[in-house]
Amino acid sequence: MSAPCLEFLAPSRLATDALVSLIGERRRLAEERARPSVHVFYDTFDWALWADGGILERRKEEKVFTLIWSGIDQGSEPLSQPAPTEPAFAADLGPGPVRERVLNPAGIRRLLPVMGIRTRTRRLRLLDDEDKTVARIAIDQSRFEDPVGGREGDLRVRLRVLPVRGYDSERDSALDMLSGELGLEPATTPTVLEALAAAGRRPGDYSSKIDFSLDPNERADSVVKTILLGLLDTLERNVPGARANLDSEFLHDLRVAVRRTRSALTQIRDVFPDPVVGHYRERFTWLQQLTGPVRDLDVYLLEFDSYQQSLPEPLRPHLEPLRTFILSHYDGEQRRLAEALGSQEFTDLIGKWRDFLHTPVPEVAVAADAERPIKALADARIRRMAKRVRREGRALTPQSPAADMHELRKSCKKLRYLMEFFQSLYPGDDIRALVKLLKVLLDNLGSFQDIAVQTGHLRELAVRMRAEHKAETDTLLAVGALIGDLLARQRSTREEFAELFAEFLTDETQQRFRALFGRHPDASGDRAAGTEAAA
Amino acid sequence: MKVIGIYNIKGGVGKTAAAVNLAYLSSAEGLRTLLWDLDPQAAATYYFRVRAEVKGGTKGLLRGKRGLDAAVKGTDFERLDLLPAEFSFRHMDLLLEDQKGPTKRLMRLLRPQSRSYDHCFLDCPPSISLVSENIFRAADLLLVPVIPTTLSARTLDQLLDFLAGHAHHQDLKVLPFFSMVDRRKRLHCELMQRLPERYPGFLRATIPYASEVERMGIHRMPLIAYAPSNPAAIAYRALWTELQAALSDTATRVAEPLPQAV
Repeated sequence: MSAPCLEFLAPSRLATDALVSLIGERRRLAEERARPSVHVFYDTFDWALWADGGILERRKEEKVFTLIWSGIDQGSEPLSQPAPTEPAFAADLGPGPVRERVLNPAGIRRLLPVMGIRTRTRRLRLLDDEDKTVARIAIDQSRFEDPVGGREGDLRVRLRVLPVRGYDSERDSALDMLSGELGLEPATTPTVLEALAAAGRRPGDYSSKIDFSLDPNERADSVVKTILLGLLDTLERNVPGARANLDSEFLHDLRVAVRRTRSALTQIRDVFPDPVVGHYRERFTWLQQLTGPVRDLDVYLLEFDSYQQSLPEPLRPHLEPLRTFILSHYDGEQRRLAEALGSQEFTDLIGKWRDFLHTPVPEVAVAADAERPIKALADARIRRMAKRVRREGRALTPQSPAADMHELRKSCKKLRYLMEFFQSLYPGDDIRALVKLLKVLLDNLGSFQDIAVQTGHLRELAVRMRAEHKAETDTLLAVGALIGDLLARQRSTREEFAELFAEFLTDETQQRFRALFGRHPDASGDRAAGTEAAA
Repeated sequence: MKVIGIYNIKGGVGKTAAAVNLAYLSSAEGLRTLLWDLDPQAAATYYFRVRAEVKGGTKGLLRGKRGLDAAVKGTDFERLDLLPAEFSFRHMDLLLEDQKGPTKRLMRLLRPQSRSYDHCFLDCPPSISLVSENIFRAADLLLVPVIPTTLSARTLDQLLDFLAGHAHHQDLKVLPFFSMVDRRKRLHCELMQRLPERYPGFLRATIPYASEVERMGIHRMPLIAYAPSNPAAIAYRALWTELQAALSDTATRVAEPLPQAV
């Protein structure tokens, strides 16, 4: 049996005084003093808590701050714990059930205020013939203040029945009165959702995932512009968070959007005139480079604890000066990044790029593939890239240099991006399964490459620390041990690779690729192959 | 959940008034509080305007098929729930005898409540009986209201002797405090000086006799809720403060009589 709905919406024509008299005509009442409360709702920028089915609230009532997690479906029991300070990162919350609940979904993302609600609650006690309280009715008058968009306004008055333990029939009778006699409408959504809707916002309105719904027959240049506009939106939405360094994922998502943009420009290049492609490729490479240093440091800081744990116990404290060294360079790099993302050069790039993407496609296009139906082009491009991945992967031996592994990784990434851009043109389950296969392969190649870069970089850091007299011998030895550990991990990664790539090459997998992207009746697929070979 | 028994072998010493006001203070402080009225007179139940009846009666409650949950009633105050008493509680002793582990029954019944409450106050009936033994087993601490009279002091001795004679109860913390004190009476003043010398664990808070306390029966709510600045209300607050300190410091054994003759 589902729990009865205990919350109702008052018709907007009824003032709270009128509601109180309507109830007073039907029940013995006593009114307690009205209470103000402030409710601030938090989620990560990408709505991770919402996606996990919950809402996080910090409530101030009677000078007491409480952190409350409640399920969206209102079916699960809410969790609460004291909240003396404003939440920032889940890991920094005080111990308690709310921290335990949000730790995993929020991860390394900062908890940001998404909505504020101020409420004044009138509380009525329903009495029996001994003047004993048998139920309460709370009447909430609320006003929302959107911390993101800045809008504010009144919300509909809500009535809540607060049962008193051991008085179930009195609770039911109060519910009957509100829904039956007064004809109030049950409130089925939490107040915060009503507030978000009133502020013109929608939970889950940001995701870094690619999700386009494409028409297979639409001309290629127009579709590619749609894709690039989506990537530009993602890029721009992450700029304020990356400049303020709210958490490391803003910059990460921004960089992924840039990388995908560059990949789209090079992989589907014959849909725009060459000079345009050349110019923007160069500009986005600039952007990718200027965001690199902070990301490198972020990766070290995110991994630092696990680095430290990988060392034998006695060496661990000696690695601490490395963290200090990284942190001492962090602020400078972050400042440079924030300046660059606020520069005229950056603003111009974004503005002009958006102008270009918004300009309607020419009726007669210069670029060779501009007017081709997108499905045909997508098939051809994915087929070419899959072939390249097979070729490069087969050529690898256990002795191949790291650079060759890196080349294969870049090709795999391009293939994955292409498949993600055009996902909606193919049967969902089939293409998702292949993308997943690529992700596993990419995780392996990514770990391999990260270690290759990190070992080099750690050595460089050790040299700099020594030159700046920031490292004792023990610290240098600890860094050495860390590099040794990483190289051992890299070796096992390479062993795993052989197995994973064999999976990619199986007849079954290749058959699945052919079934999705196999030679298209449109023979111009060969033309794409020609341009690839010429490149 | 900390279980606090408010107990004295003697009746009419202010047990219920202390239980009702301390439970109220505990809930007002934000702690989830249960008050179990174990006295068949059901005075605490009356003070909270709850009907003196228990579904299934004493027998049903002790058999514990549905646990205590079905019997609990919310009071007029948030976070403060009451397990009401009814007149059939006068047979509780007899019914306990029929149970398996007759001295552990209340403790067993309370155990599942520890998830729902931070504090449980037991308003105990006077006399020493199987019900009292259950209370000694269930409680983390006993608060003993003592009127500064000879008879009242004697019952404190009886209690301490009884506890000392039973291995199960030897660790039970016993905190006496002066109750219904009339400073105009010379005997009260004398005993208030002498008794703490003999029982160094006596709490400092002293509840004065106040007619306003008797008016709880008219107001039907804790004294502190309608007369917060009454001297007795102020004294209950002081008692609550001392009780909290004692609860957080469970290692201290208090109220052990010095080894000397009365």
